[in-house]
Amino acid sequence: MNTKYHRPRTLDAALALAAGADAVILGGGTTVNARPGRPPGVLVDLQALDLAGIEMDGGTIRLGATTCLQEVVDSGLVPEVLRDLARLEAPGTIRNAATIGGTIGAADPESPLLTGLLAFGARVSVARAGSITDRPLEEVLADPGVLRGGVITSVAIPAGGRAASHGTARTPMDRPIVMAVAHRDAGGAIRMAVSGVAPHPVLVDPGRLAELDPPADFRGSSSYRAHLAEVLTARALATVGRGDRA
Amino acid sequence: MTIQLTINGTPRALACEPHESLRAVLRRAGFYSVRYGSDTGETGAAAVLVDGRLVSADVMLAAQADGHAIETVEGLTVPGEMHPIQQAFIDAGAIQSGYSTPAMVLAAKALIEKTANPTEAEIRDALSGILDRETGYLRPVHAVLRAAATMRGEEPDPIRVAHLDRLVGSDAPHHDRDGLSPIAPRVVLSEDVPVSRVVGHAETKTDAVKLAKGNPAFTDDRDLSGTLIAKVLYSPHAHARIVSIDDSAARALPGVRAVLHHGNVPRVRYASGGQSYPNPLPYDQVSFDDKVRYVGDRVAAVAADTEEIARAAIDLIDVTYELLPAVFDENDAIVDGAPVIHDEPGMEGAHDAGHNIVHHIQAQTGDVEAGFATADRVFEQTLRVHQVQQTPIEPHIAIARWDSDDRLEIISSTQVPFHVRRMLAPLVGLPVRQIRIIKPRIGGGFGAKQEMLIEDIVAHLTIATGRPVRLELTREEEFISSRTRHPQTITFRTGIDAEGRLTAQEMRIVANTGAYGTHGLTVQMVSGMRGLSSYNSPLKRFDCKVAYTNLPVPGAYRGYGAPQALFALESHMEDIAAAIGMDAIEFRRRNWTKVGDPIDIAPQLGEGDPGAGTVPIITSSGLEEAVLQGQRAIGWQRRDDAAWRQPADRPHVRRGLGFAMAMHGTAIPGLDMGGASLKINDDGSFNLLVGATDLGTGSDTVLAQIAAEVVGVGTEDILVYSSDTDLTPFDTGAYASSTTYISGTAVKRAAEQVRSQVIDRAALLLGVDVGSVDLHDRAAWSTDGRSVTLGEIALSTLHQKGQHQIMATASYVSPDSPPPYAAQFAEVEVDVETGQVTVMQLVMAVDCGVPINPVTASGQVEGGMVQALGYGQCEEMAYDADGRMVNAAFGPYKIYRADEMPRLEAILVQTMEASGPFGAKAIAEIPLDGAAPAIRNAIADATGARINTIPFTPERVWRALQAL
Repeated sequence: MNTKYHRPRTLDAALALAAGADAVILGGGTTVNARPGRPPGVLVDLQALDLAGIEMDGGTIRLGATTCLQEVVDSGLVPEVLRDLARLEAPGTIRNAATIGGTIGAADPESPLLTGLLAFGARVSVARAGSITDRPLEEVLADPGVLRGGVITSVAIPAGGRAASHGTARTPMDRPIVMAVAHRDAGGAIRMAVSGVAPHPVLVDPGRLAELDPPADFRGSSSYRAHLAEVLTARALATVGRGDRA
Repeated sequence: MTIQLTINGTPRALACEPHESLRAVLRRAGFYSVRYGSDTGETGAAAVLVDGRLVSADVMLAAQADGHAIETVEGLTVPGEMHPIQQAFIDAGAIQSGYSTPAMVLAAKALIEKTANPTEAEIRDALSGILDRETGYLRPVHAVLRAAATMRGEEPDPIRVAHLDRLVGSDAPHHDRDGLSPIAPRVVLSEDVPVSRVVGHAETKTDAVKLAKGNPAFTDDRDLSGTLIAKVLYSPHAHARIVSIDDSAARALPGVRAVLHHGNVPRVRYASGGQSYPNPLPYDQVSFDDKVRYVGDRVAAVAADTEEIARAAIDLIDVTYELLPAVFDENDAIVDGAPVIHDEPGMEGAHDAGHNIVHHIQAQTGDVEAGFATADRVFEQTLRVHQVQQTPIEPHIAIARWDSDDRLEIISSTQVPFHVRRMLAPLVGLPVRQIRIIKPRIGGGFGAKQEMLIEDIVAHLTIATGRPVRLELTREEEFISSRTRHPQTITFRTGIDAEGRLTAQEMRIVANTGAYGTHGLTVQMVSGMRGLSSYNSPLKRFDCKVAYTNLPVPGAYRGYGAPQALFALESHMEDIAAAIGMDAIEFRRRNWTKVGDPIDIAPQLGEGDPGAGTVPIITSSGLEEAVLQGQRAIGWQRRDDAAWRQPADRPHVRRGLGFAMAMHGTAIPGLDMGGASLKINDDGSFNLLVGATDLGTGSDTVLAQIAAEVVGVGTEDILVYSSDTDLTPFDTGAYASSTTYISGTAVKRAAEQVRSQVIDRAALLLGVDVGSVDLHDRAAWSTDGRSVTLGEIALSTLHQKGQHQIMATASYVSPDSPPPYAAQFAEVEVDVETGQVTVMQLVMAVDCGVPINPVTASGQVEGGMVQALGYGQCEEMAYDADGRMVNAAFGPYKIYRADEMPRLEAILVQTMEASGPFGAKAIAEIPLDGAAPAIRNAIADATGARINTIPFTPERVWRALQAL
């Protein structure tokens, strides 16, 4: 099997490798290494870059790309709702390796954490040779191609505000069939993100849920998922308080 | 590439390929405690510490670990000493198969190093990535609490058996539950049971130390150099003829040593279910066929130098299929015009292969229609149970090789080594004597390994290559190509009189046995037995059609037809009680079988001799006591508390409690046989050789306790070996809840002969009559208080005078199958806006006769209830329209993990079953029988929704609520 493994020491070196056609970026590797057959490629392991850590930067919480999910769970800086969603994202054996950047790169279509980050208005910093661009998470989820050839360096969310998540699942720690996460910022503006109603977590307008056409699977039909979206967004809104009353 | 890392404090340089997992590289370096459960990291059996953090070595590349410090459980091992965490796992009874115990020990180590005084929630979170199919997590969680206490310098309380007051016939207030440790085994003593020294005590599991240390003990831990790796090509189609197979490209690949398929393997018909001779018909399988009947059916097998080459070779096999229409539902399969699944020439032994009806089982006692005609009311209800998988964390694995005598030796993770040897012989054209099957420790089986599933493949490949060959199923292969639980459509019809007594009861089943018959006959016979012998009815009828379909193959799964039957029966009985306005437990009590009642339908359903005219009679039952204990433990009176039922702070939540009774069997009467051999060693210890097959349940320990009790020693003086077809006596194997009762009686009889031989010599040495010698405390005692140790007796008989080997062999088959009983209770919260059900608590009180070991028996109940919880609530094999399983991985296939568990409680209600060894009946399977109906009835209690289909997924429950 023609796999090559690289552990670049600098971001520039990583970017040079990432530009290759068959480059695969490794955060913790918990998704990439779980793919059947582990197709050959040039593995670019980011662990030696100085990208881990969570810091408060003015009104912004910045999570370095190689911060593992367990550090998110344990962080006193991260809002409690996101910490809970990071816990729900994966069990301990995976959280200790999986990274926040990798979670975005892997783009699990039902990720609770991505749903939460979406509600918080997360912005993703993507480095390319000579530049770093900030993109809203919703753009990255809608078109993962924007990451190609680049390296996620960090994710930023605003500090403050209120948030709530409500999901329905087969068991308490199962991946929710549908989950709604609401975030209300200090100014009262509400962002509502929902998983399980589209091919990836999406931002929704709570007044226009009827326009959703959720994909069905064995855990939930389309109409049931649409119903859950109504119930769960209403609960999330009720928990954060309606923006117009703030 | 070469990586530099520290393993357990020692710097190491290891060669690896860039794509290799850390698990593969650690195992190659001899760290066998790092175990395979999945490729995708979901099971946690391969969890290790990397820089002190618990990570899955399945999904970490060895290359990623370059430069880091790795810890495995081998690093905790100091000769002669146990680490406090390992000791706590042993003491708490937290180890069943032990397959994932090393990972749990490491999880505990990382947590305690971070937090000296962890909470239960923190422990559950730390264990969240290690799936356990065996314990229900209760004992592992408390093992970690105890370990943390010990490491803080505290001394945790010893685990004592808690004796609960008997409630039947007593109305005094009881305080015996106050302050009870969650892992103290709860036993309600019976005054009919005599006091014993070893039996009935919480003895340490005989294999616990090696399992806690992660010693090489499992099939995959045998390191045979030059072993080829086998891979199987599975059918991608649900129903197709193989028009041609071109294996030339695969054969041409360097490193490929054999490619086998229907074109080059003799066509010998067999049935794969591990059952006694002659195996039940039909013989509808061959090792490789020219037709495939489900997605996951075998097409071809390869042996190659490496796994990669084997995989590549599989991809190079060019198969041309002629696709055939497929059918998946059992009711659709048996109608005119359905695709015929077994249309091959020479097919025999099926009832009506042209209509896919493998068996048509009928049984009756009298004329049920007359009973319905005289009934006050008649109720009819149809229910559906679905397909689930056993999911042992250790998948099927077997290694074959030629030994130095040119005999075929197969090391296999099997529950039925003796059946495998006999069944394999004709397939590979060898006499039985030229085959040896060795069963090492097993990482769980639950019936999936009561099957000759893969041994023929490694045998064929070893014969073809002359080399050792290893085949281990991946997690996905385990789901689609091993065995599962039979789906059924079940209809009950029940007549009752004005007093709520049954006048007639009929059970009709259409069962789905998938593509092959294997256990299709006997599982459904058990369904009939359990469905129609739990309650007294003067008239009974059973009618069951077993259908072939193009689904993956159902087989034996712990419970074996009973969970299906009891879900239907206990839902039906609940609903009848509601319809006639009678208390649901009182209605059942009026009808359930009691001591002295006949099991009149048993002889027609394979239990007892229908020609002999004798009917089994129930000789012991603790059901009434079990019900009272369970009601008390779950707080049954809360059903009448409106504020509890509808919590004010969560308006969308309703709470409810549910009940189900269960009655099971203990071994197959007249069929299950076990042998045991016991011999003394120079130091007064004994070797106990049994064919019985401990698959993690603790049966070796139970058998050792029985032997120890008889010969007056401790469990630690009995060295158990199970099982090896060359070394141990025959045993039918670990199934049908038979080991304690059948193999235990064989052990007891062998031990009684040994006891007699020991006493003979003791009498000689002490100069007294044999009648005045007793054995206890490792010595023989005369009535005047003098004694001679068993070691002295052994030396005397082996070396000094009238030399002979004190030893005996015995076997046992029982004419009886005394039923264990159980009362299962469940507490649920239902979100009535979404249909989400949260199971808060499960309590099961079980009458298993006398529990030989209350800790292992409690562990069976705790873990079994959780499998049953999954069956009822969240596990299902889901398929697309073409019959491809869409969720063949943990996660999508949901089994409970440590951090989302309901509270669990097991209560053991003693009865003295005179036919069992020291009063024992079975415990292994009955824990699977009650949770699904108890949860169903709790949902009905909470919301009024009566759901006749499992599992109770949110959408199903929500739709039922919408229909109210």
